[in-house]
Amino acid sequence: EETGDDDGFDYGQNDFTEHACKYCGISNPACVVRCNVASCRKWFCNSRGNTSGSHIVNHLVRAKHKEVCLHRDSPLGETILECYNCGCRNVFLLGFISAKTDSVVVLLCRDPCLNVNALKDMNWDLSQWCPLIDDRCFLPWLVKVPSEQEQLRARQISAQQINKIEELWKTNPDATLEDLEKPGVDDEPQPVQPKYEDAYQYQNVFAPLIKLEADYDKMMKESQSKENLTVRWDIGLNKKRVAYFVFPKEENELRLVPGDELRLRYSGDAAHPAWQSVGHVIKLTAQEEVALELRANQGVPIDVNHGFSVDFVWKSTSFDRMQGAMKNFAVDETSVSGYIYHQLLGHEVEAQMVRNTLPRRFGVPGLPELNASQVNAAKSVLQKPISLIQGPPGTGKTVTSAAIVYHMAKQGQGQVLVCAPSNVAVDQLAGKISATGLKVVRLCAKSREAVSSPVEHLTLHYQVRHLDTSEKSELHKLQQLKDEQGELSSSDEKKYKNLKRATEREITQSADVICCTCVGAADLRLSNFRFKQVLIDESTQATEPECLIPLVLGVKQVVLVGDHCQLGPVIMCKKAARAGLAQSLFERLVLLGIKPIRLQVQYRMHPALSEFPSNSFYEGTLQNGVTIIERQTTGIDFPWPMPNRPMFFYVQLGQEEISASGTSYLNRTEAANVEKLVTAFLKSGVVPSQIGVITPYEGQRAYIVNYMARNGSLRQQLYKEIEVASVDSFQGREKDYIILSCVRSNEHQGIGFLNDPRRLNVALTRARYGIVILGNPKVLSKQPLWNGLLTHYKEHECLVEGPLNNLKQSMVQFQKPRKIYN
Amino acid sequence: KFRVRQKVVTVDPEELADFDQELKALLQESMEQRKLELRGRPALNMTIPMSVFEGSGKDHHFGRLVGENGEELLDEENGEQREVQVKVLVKRGNKQQTRQMLIPSDCSLVQSTKQKEAAELEE
Ligand SMILES: [Zn+2]
Ligand SMILES: [Zn+2]
Ligand SMILES: [Zn+2]
Repeated sequence: EETGDDDGFDYGQNDFTEHACKYCGISNPACVVRCNVASCRKWFCNSRGNTSGSHIVNHLVRAKHKEVCLHRDSPLGETILECYNCGCRNVFLLGFISAKTDSVVVLLCRDPCLNVNALKDMNWDLSQWCPLIDDRCFLPWLVKVPSEQEQLRARQISAQQINKIEELWKTNPDATLEDLEKPGVDDEPQPVQPKYEDAYQYQNVFAPLIKLEADYDKMMKESQSKENLTVRWDIGLNKKRVAYFVFPKEENELRLVPGDELRLRYSGDAAHPAWQSVGHVIKLTAQEEVALELRANQGVPIDVNHGFSVDFVWKSTSFDRMQGAMKNFAVDETSVSGYIYHQLLGHEVEAQMVRNTLPRRFGVPGLPELNASQVNAAKSVLQKPISLIQGPPGTGKTVTSAAIVYHMAKQGQGQVLVCAPSNVAVDQLAGKISATGLKVVRLCAKSREAVSSPVEHLTLHYQVRHLDTSEKSELHKLQQLKDEQGELSSSDEKKYKNLKRATEREITQSADVICCTCVGAADLRLSNFRFKQVLIDESTQATEPECLIPLVLGVKQVVLVGDHCQLGPVIMCKKAARAGLAQSLFERLVLLGIKPIRLQVQYRMHPALSEFPSNSFYEGTLQNGVTIIERQTTGIDFPWPMPNRPMFFYVQLGQEEISASGTSYLNRTEAANVEKLVTAFLKSGVVPSQIGVITPYEGQRAYIVNYMARNGSLRQQLYKEIEVASVDSFQGREKDYIILSCVRSNEHQGIGFLNDPRRLNVALTRARYGIVILGNPKVLSKQPLWNGLLTHYKEHECLVEGPLNNLKQSMVQFQKPRKIYN
Repeated sequence: KFRVRQKVVTVDPEELADFDQELKALLQESMEQRKLELRGRPALNMTIPMSVFEGSGKDHHFGRLVGENGEELLDEENGEQREVQVKVLVKRGNKQQTRQMLIPSDCSLVQSTKQKEAAELEE
């Protein structure tokens, strides 16, 4: 039933690897020859690299092979080098001679043909025999030496590696250099480094890490089968069958996301045969129900509701695309510009400026005016081939990004590619860019076309359906037929597909800006597109290979936007995380000395709330773009201990417990107090959508949701509408009021999740108007950063205890911070 | 364009010596093998199709390198040609073929012939 629609490009299609030097990857036809030994037939180039002889001579000597063949695109065409007279093919014996007075040359072996008497009587000048191999290299005019640029960009192979691989080829002729580096099954993988010799070494480090993560992801997802589910049935707008069911979730398990593929099964009964169908998750409802749009419309047991099972259908697509991008980065020298190639690998490159005329003003139609630090960022970015923008919480990085993309698009260098790791961020940015008046196409994965999007009118599939020209009436007719009948005859289906593809191409080509996820940049529908200018938002939440996918489409200018002081990419496999896969490209470039341009004015938090994060995470550089007046909560009667500071740390000494599942934690007194705080907010006139409850543990999350529903003194529905979630799922978003429940309260153990300063930063910077933190200062104060936070709250008389209607300054003693955390 | 700081490539002298030794051994082996191969062979017969010399007529000289617009490409510094065109004679099966190729004008293959050309001209 596979449609193959979700496949990305097949990077292997290009044959540029076929005749690439087996040592260094150089594939210029003028520079390579093929070893002509039947069991070998490998290609090598005529560059010396770091070794005494050229690669081809190195191979011939080490393998004791003696014959070669020129490339078909070389000046002599596909030619086996041999003696013109006797046919001897031993290149160590061959050399050129020329006719005495003519511009004619032939290859002749030095023994015996060079010594044949008859030749002397002819036109040949035998005294000037010119050996084919000279100074451990082929004659450079017969087989060109690759240019310096080509050599710098090739794999930097050492003599030791050559000897090793030659040894390996004796028993396994198909072995690759990667096999030499491959860690054993039980070995720790090679850790990531700040710099790499070349893109092959880069690939050697990252490919095994991506493989580890992919294997783990597969194992995890495929083990998430659920039995005995209750299903209710519905029909979608597109007439497709939709199944709704609750997919119970446990700690540390991946959350389902729209676009995921699941298989729904029914084992059958007396009245129904066994049945199964795959489908895509199109949404997750507030009631934690999954909506699954089924691929098959026929034979669905819609009169049955109980006894269904669900399995996860794991797809390797995103991992394959990362591997493909790394391969492309190495073997295709047009994948990224030379400058960016060397920058990404950490080579020392002289700074280069992009010669573009700067816009006279940086403000952009349809967007708010930019502030000084935003203008500064835009100006700097437009002049550099590679730049980093750090956007702390609430500093308007989406607006800044949209403005930059607007100016890039106006430079007339072709279409601009805009990516982010998450669909939410892509949608957000696509909307902002479209507001400037640019033509935007939002490309969604096929599996997500039924998922609703706030920028649906920008999506390619929507535009294809609504392109209103007479030529498209045929496509629309077929589309309608397909919608009504569910399928088309095979000839109509073919016609439909061709028309659709042509229309997609037409719309995509006429756009100024293409927006998609990083993984989406390898979509087959973009396979013939090249992008010189690429902007990646939220780049600090993507792994390096993920970030590479949109870059290897010919990038000359790249802008990475993100904040390395907030949470990075989620890596499930501990081994891969330990080796450094969780470090983003943005962070590595910072380590290499590329200074990020920081946006400095925050428009989200009440100034009292931004003070601690600014001092602790941004060297005190955050300025407030909002005033106390603008964040005053008039009419809200809430017991803030300090009227001008809508924040407090609510001291909790209740014990934590292990959750029922045994894999998580919960804290009952904290949960009870969360409910009291929520009720106080609601009573004072705050609506549920303004409140966010953050807790790092799934056990506590579930417990709070349950507790509020059962014990809340107001209408149950109000509590149901309050979002209770992990720090990670709040990243990139904001709420008016945040309640943070820390849970851990064990004197003898660490504080787990909250130990990561980036997670604390995210938790503290979600609130616009006010924040309440619940936790045990005795435990938390051991960690230096938390100790600082507690001291800050105490100094401002915001460290309190007691009942909510009678809060008192807390005199609880802090512990000395221990320097055991980073 | 831009500059990349280059690593200084140093070839390990031990590696170099080892490589040269293997290269020498391979040459030696090739020569000896060749002697064995040829022991029983009949006399060699080298046929050069005279046709390749025809066409260039009496005016024997190395082909000049000509640019796209028909002008001669000369070395900017001293007005000398940097590359000259030669015909490479190869066998494909039993057929002879020539292919055009550029070789540097300072190659020994060209130099001696050029000198002779010059000498002949003076005579
Ligand atoms: Zn070989
Ligand atoms: Zn090579
Ligand atoms: Zn011969």
